[in-house]
Amino acid sequence: MEGSNWMNRRNFLKAAGSLTAGSALAALPYAALAGSGEHLQLTILHTNDVHSRVEPFPMDGSRNQGLGGVARRAALVDSIRREQRHVLLLDAGDTVQGTPYYNLFGGKVEMELMSKMGYDASTFGNHEFDNGVDALAGMITHANFPFLSANYDFSDTALAGKTQPYTLFRKQGLRIGVFGLGIQLDGMVDPNNYRGTVYLDPIAVANDIAARLKYDYNCSLVICLSHLGYRYAGSQVSDQLLAAGTRHIDLVIGGHTHTFMPRPEHIRNLDGAITTVNQVGFAGINLGRLDYLFERRSGKKQLLTAGSYEISNDLAFRPTGALNPYS
Amino acid sequence: MKCTSANPLFLFGVALLSLLSTACSRYSLPAGSPAYTEHRIDGSIAPDTAFIAYYLPYKQQLDAEMNRVIGHSAVPLTKPGSVPETLLGNFFADALLTEGRKSDPGIDFSFGTKGGLRTELPKGGITVGHLFELMPFENELVILELSGKSVRQLAGFIAATGGQPVAGLRMVIHANTANDIRIGGTPLDDSKTYRLLTYDYLANGGDNIRGLEAPVKRVNLGQKVREALINYVQDCTREGKQLNTQLDGRIKLDE
Repeated sequence: MEGSNWMNRRNFLKAAGSLTAGSALAALPYAALAGSGEHLQLTILHTNDVHSRVEPFPMDGSRNQGLGGVARRAALVDSIRREQRHVLLLDAGDTVQGTPYYNLFGGKVEMELMSKMGYDASTFGNHEFDNGVDALAGMITHANFPFLSANYDFSDTALAGKTQPYTLFRKQGLRIGVFGLGIQLDGMVDPNNYRGTVYLDPIAVANDIAARLKYDYNCSLVICLSHLGYRYAGSQVSDQLLAAGTRHIDLVIGGHTHTFMPRPEHIRNLDGAITTVNQVGFAGINLGRLDYLFERRSGKKQLLTAGSYEISNDLAFRPTGALNPYS
Repeated sequence: MKCTSANPLFLFGVALLSLLSTACSRYSLPAGSPAYTEHRIDGSIAPDTAFIAYYLPYKQQLDAEMNRVIGHSAVPLTKPGSVPETLLGNFFADALLTEGRKSDPGIDFSFGTKGGLRTELPKGGITVGHLFELMPFENELVILELSGKSVRQLAGFIAATGGQPVAGLRMVIHANTANDIRIGGTPLDDSKTYRLLTYDYLANGGDNIRGLEAPVKRVNLGQKVREALINYVQDCTREGKQLNTQLDGRIKLDE
């Protein structure tokens, strides 16, 4: 595993070297930059659709045997936090349902483990509603991080006042705005389990909130935690349509479709600017990672690297190479 | 990465490097500085034992229940994609039909969705935990009395979606439509009503199933689907039988 990554890395650098012979670009001095005071490096770690996978998949010969598990994810997150000063740990929903931990303990175990791991925010997937909206209101009392939900109106439910549409993170003067979007529940969740919840058009809501985060709060990075799904054959709203149909969103961290994206997708939004979409499979098999570098004075940013860790005994990082979509 | 001009990855790389080049000049980087290093971890990193210690008491409680072997399957119960009939789907629909008939022997057929079956079952010992993972949802059994026309709509949905788990119903899919629909061995009669066993998620509109919207009558049995599956497996074991689900052509593709 390690060997093949090194090979990929070497091949990438080799390709890079052959393209830029003499330009001294094969080694990019980001580490020096990030520590320079004029720049700030932000590491975004993310999961989606963990589905109550507390322990690794059992060693039963199945495809994912031995992968995932909170204890190794926690160790990995911890070691990255020790190395990087500015880290956000985010989740895109469906934290629960899929192992008996949820059936027997109602989500308390998952919420407490995510809290202990230091998750900064999550959003509601459809499966958060599986025990009903009242049970969900109880479940999230075990979380010390917010569930961000901008396009469900919970006013007439037990969740009224218990979620927030967005939140801000401040990193040495820079602001990062994060908001959450959920999927249409009609036809997806038993009506009894989301009774009173009003679904609002995610694109309209996203445009409104992203503009506020960018202009009213002066955020240097706007992140959407989306449980809409990566893409569909039909016209159903997806992360791809969201990215193309909005302004001011820099990064969509997606979920729902359990899509493992080997590399993030960069989509031109309504302004012709780049909105990056990423999603890392399901069950906590992978931890996604994107590193941004900000020029503190201007707030200008680059995407330094993106990739994902596979949570196995090898804990290998699969880099996709340095990706900078910004011109 | 092959560096041929036809390779889009290569072109992408060129574009990226030119962008990086721009970025670097903007930041006026000194040449030869240390590279940004990806965080690299090898197998020596240990799981965080504090996390294991946290969930261990829950795990012990859970394992005691979940590891209970309640039956055996002679074959792996699988659900390969793109086939109209699967062993897992047949097992599931057979179990529901059998359990439902304990409450109402007049039930004609059962129906669920393949998307609702969340894992496959191995050959050999079947545990309570397997059935939890197969059906983690708290769905409950529902009997719907449907007009023959509604059943025909439902069969149309099943055909259009390439087959779904059923028992007591047989059909042939031709050009994505349902043909030769038989209930209990008899051709579907639009003028009759039929009793379907399914579950509340579907009966309440989940998965946008056609044909379930206007039942003549609905009875909620108040029994969880998972409990029905557990009962079915336990009954087989009590009768000294292994699960030996077979494909029997209940849904066939006519191509």
